[in-house]
Amino acid sequence: MIRREVSLINRLGLHARAASKLVQTAAEHDCEVWLERGDRRVNAKSIMGVLLLAAPMGSELVLETDGVDEQAAMNALVTLIENRFGEGE
Amino acid sequence: MSLVLTGIGVTSGIAIGQVHRLTPGELSLPEYHLDADAVDAELERIRRALDRSQRFLGKLLERMVDSGDTARELLESHRLILRDPLLVDATCDRIRSEKINAEWALVKQTEQLVAEFKRIDNDYIALRREDLEQAVNLVQRELADQPSTLIGAQVPHQLGRTIVVAPELGPADMAVLNQRRVAGLVTEHGGPLSHSAILARSLEIPMIVGLHHALDVLEEGEAVILDGHYGALLAAHDESLLRHYEDKREVSLRRRADLRRYLGRPSRTLDGTNFRLFGNAELPEEFQRCRDAGVAGIGLMRTEYLFMGDQVPDEETQYRAYRAAVEVMDGRPLTVRTLDAGGDKLPPALAVTQGPNPALGLRGLRLSLAVSDLFRQQLRAILRASVFGPIQILLPMITSIEEVRQARHLIESCRQSLIGEDLAIDPNLPVGGMIETPAAALTVEQLARELDFLSIGTNDLSQYVLAIDRQDELVSYLYDPTHRSILGLIAGIVASGRDQKLPVTVCGELAGDERAARLLLGLGVTDFSMPPASLPAVKKSLIEADAGRCRKLVEAFLREDGDEQSGQSLLEALNRPAE
Repeated sequence: MIRREVSLINRLGLHARAASKLVQTAAEHDCEVWLERGDRRVNAKSIMGVLLLAAPMGSELVLETDGVDEQAAMNALVTLIENRFGEGE
Repeated sequence: MSLVLTGIGVTSGIAIGQVHRLTPGELSLPEYHLDADAVDAELERIRRALDRSQRFLGKLLERMVDSGDTARELLESHRLILRDPLLVDATCDRIRSEKINAEWALVKQTEQLVAEFKRIDNDYIALRREDLEQAVNLVQRELADQPSTLIGAQVPHQLGRTIVVAPELGPADMAVLNQRRVAGLVTEHGGPLSHSAILARSLEIPMIVGLHHALDVLEEGEAVILDGHYGALLAAHDESLLRHYEDKREVSLRRRADLRRYLGRPSRTLDGTNFRLFGNAELPEEFQRCRDAGVAGIGLMRTEYLFMGDQVPDEETQYRAYRAAVEVMDGRPLTVRTLDAGGDKLPPALAVTQGPNPALGLRGLRLSLAVSDLFRQQLRAILRASVFGPIQILLPMITSIEEVRQARHLIESCRQSLIGEDLAIDPNLPVGGMIETPAAALTVEQLARELDFLSIGTNDLSQYVLAIDRQDELVSYLYDPTHRSILGLIAGIVASGRDQKLPVTVCGELAGDERAARLLLGLGVTDFSMPPASLPAVKKSLIEADAGRCRKLVEAFLREDGDEQSGQSLLEALNRPAE
């Protein structure tokens, strides 16, 4: 299991489009993927779970991956978030 | 909306509340509990519906290579939603633990998720509620096996101050809406005699039909006043208007309470003619109301309602419904009409092909005889229920003596099979026929020899005699059940019944119309069957009538050689207070 803190730096935070991309990326991996914000913890393969986090720009999130490809999943998700979900600026 | 919209009022009540818009089909979501051994099949059913929805979305995506990112992303997000454990796993859990059907579980889980989304104060995310509902609708459509029609969001569970606006409403919709205590109903289509209008009257729900484009002009949540008497829908902006209608509503509720007092009085006219009032009922609440109103029995229990779901009800389900009804009636006779499907009300589950003209096609008893396995199921269920109280069987839409014989033969063979199962069914259980086609009305003397009682269905009889579809708004103005041709036929049917000593009941809309009560009395009718809501006013009209005078007026009208075809002025005369 790997845990890692990430910060949402894209302009809109975890809005619908960003959430879709995050869930799609998570779903490409076999490991479990969890996302935490404050005391709320959701399955990152659940689009509605991720949306219900309602995370705005600047939120501090914790990503957790657990399973065979946990490292690959973590890398892909962190890259996605750091690239602002491909939104540009 | 503008200040006032008008359609046709079908229930003369007043409702005040907020508009809730319904789009086609959305109410047909069945809700039922599962037997323990049906759970696995139900899980498989929802999995397949989810797969099909995914494939449908996948195909759409393939086809929209060039239609821009927004549309694609929307569909992608729908696919994600339909894979979401919060929706899929939780719904399956509900099916397993609550033992409920897939549609219902899906509705419940969606409602819960919508409630969670509502709590989030963020525009970007609020939008997703629609996505969730649209995605779920895809699955509901697959479950209903009607992927081409729209099923919108489920109706809220409490509709207390809500006025539902829909293109049209089916009987199953009406049952759900009534259960959820809807305040009023508006439909864009349909006439005052459509099935939903009849039910609205019986359940005393204020309703306007034929209010064209209602869904185009009315907004969700808009405050409106529904005046069923004038068929008017008013914007409830003005305080004084609102107060006026609140007072009016009070008055009409009080009038209803006053009329109820007549229910306790003996069923006898001013000049001492005895009459009997029966109830028409199909929903459980209606039987209760009939009994509370002191009816002599149920003159018409429709059974189409049972067949309107996804599947044809099995013998056991039907048996429970008939038994419940006869037990509520507590010793008073229950007349069960066998399935009167076809024409405008063909249950989807029967999957029978419609001919070119359904009104003249495979319907009523013809349909039952054509699907005799199902007919046997219904007959067995009725016979089994007859152990718990007096039941009689009523055959709809007969045109020939041969049909009656076939039906009686089937009834007898079902009775014999039940003897084999140690159930003693009364061999003389009465079997009656609906006289509602011109053929039956004109040969009633012969038919009467094969039947134990007669029941006049004035709605269909009028339609067939006048060649007018009462649902067709273009010609419904010509629909006149007091037309000389129909009154003559009714008089003939009543005379045949008297000659052969058979009871004759009128169970069409005419019997529940307080203005027509004396017309029927004048035609010699003494047994009236009607929706429970009509009982007080009809009883008052009959108690205060002079039967001798009514007979004279009606006989004079029928003898007259004048050119007057409509009995409308006769109606006026009959309802004028006697000197």
